[in-house]
Amino acid sequence: MSGRSPWLLVCLLAVCLPAAGADVPAARLMVKPLLCVTERESDVCSMNFDIRWKSTIAAEYCLNDSAQSTPLYCWARALTGTHSHKREVKEAFIYWLGAPGGAQRAAEVKIEVLRLDSADRRRDRRMRHVWDVL
Amino acid sequence: MLRFIMHAFGNFLKIGALWSVVALAHGQATDPASNAAPATTAPVFALPAPPESHWRIGAAFGYGQRTNPLIQSDDIPVLVDLDIAWFGKRWFFDNGDIGLTLFDRAHSTTSVVARLNSDRVFFGKTNTEYVNFAYAGSGEVTALVDPGTGAPATEPVEVVPPDRDYAIELGVETLIDGDWGSAALRAFHDVSGTHGGYELSAYYSWRWVTGRFALTPSVGVSYKSAALNDYYWGVQQDEANLALPEYHPSDGFNFEGGLQANYYLNRNLRIALSANYERLADDVAASPLADEDYVLAYFSGLAWTF
Repeated sequence: MSGRSPWLLVCLLAVCLPAAGADVPAARLMVKPLLCVTERESDVCSMNFDIRWKSTIAAEYCLNDSAQSTPLYCWARALTGTHSHKREVKEAFIYWLGAPGGAQRAAEVKIEVLRLDSADRRRDRRMRHVWDVL
Repeated sequence: MLRFIMHAFGNFLKIGALWSVVALAHGQATDPASNAAPATTAPVFALPAPPESHWRIGAAFGYGQRTNPLIQSDDIPVLVDLDIAWFGKRWFFDNGDIGLTLFDRAHSTTSVVARLNSDRVFFGKTNTEYVNFAYAGSGEVTALVDPGTGAPATEPVEVVPPDRDYAIELGVETLIDGDWGSAALRAFHDVSGTHGGYELSAYYSWRWVTGRFALTPSVGVSYKSAALNDYYWGVQQDEANLALPEYHPSDGFNFEGGLQANYYLNRNLRIALSANYERLADDVAASPLADEDYVLAYFSGLAWTF
């Protein structure tokens, strides 16, 4: 039994003590717009994102783009924040809010891409069935 | 059996010949005071798109209708528009059509396709009526005349719109696209021995997208052989009576135009509006079986793609 005690202590410490940077308070992140619609001629959306966040605990937050390694913007001990981000969108990505230098996400919003043109042009076949009027 | 094989082989030859004709026709800062961060601009970061599912399953719910040009028949309500399709490398199933892709090139895809003829759909909801006039085609009627006396007939005549069968058609389809839009060229021949005719068609559409809104106008033309038109829209000798005279339409062209509008609420859900107008060939419109010289289809509703 005594042989297990050091391991038990390690386990308890691991559970009870938060890892550095993992204590980012939860927040609410709102982004508009959320969808990019592309087609053959224009497969990139030029979008102006209106990004807002709110938290109940004032803390340092950084706004991140999953497609970039560095934060877009950081706020010092704030409860709310707004940011405008102009971006060209070709693939789905995620805006996320976290502590500076941390990987834990307080909130995230996915920006989706809908491609109207398919690599398989057979999917654009037009039917003429009685029920098919779309 | 030998006769069937020879019949099928003959149909392939006809389709090949038809297709030759069609093929010729196309060639970090901090701002604690306001918490409003300055705008930033990021470069494009492209990741490879995930592979498409083989399946395409969708359903639209709303209200729509396809008018029915056949006499004594009801328009066809469309409350649900189902979309069930599967696309493999070669084979595909698309809402009843079965296809085998022969060539898939940078700007075109050619497939052999088996389908059911679309004219049959109009013969599904018909009503037997007793009439005291004669159908004259194009929605016109004339006086009912007793051929024996030449005098106006006094007794109403029973008119039963004739029954028509589904025809299985086999053909070749080429889909072409580019910056100019999308086109489809098709040549189909009856392989079920139902009408024995064929159809050639060309269809063009162009999609315009702004934000979440997409608008797709389209135009098309189809040529239907005399045998096809006569089977569906002719009045055969054994079907004719005083009110429904014998009639045999020749071949002809149908023209159509359409407009689709979609507003995408998210990746799966959209508000859909669609309208399509098809002008029937003159000889079809002149058939005593035709009450109207057009087919108008429209639908509005919510469409979900899974």
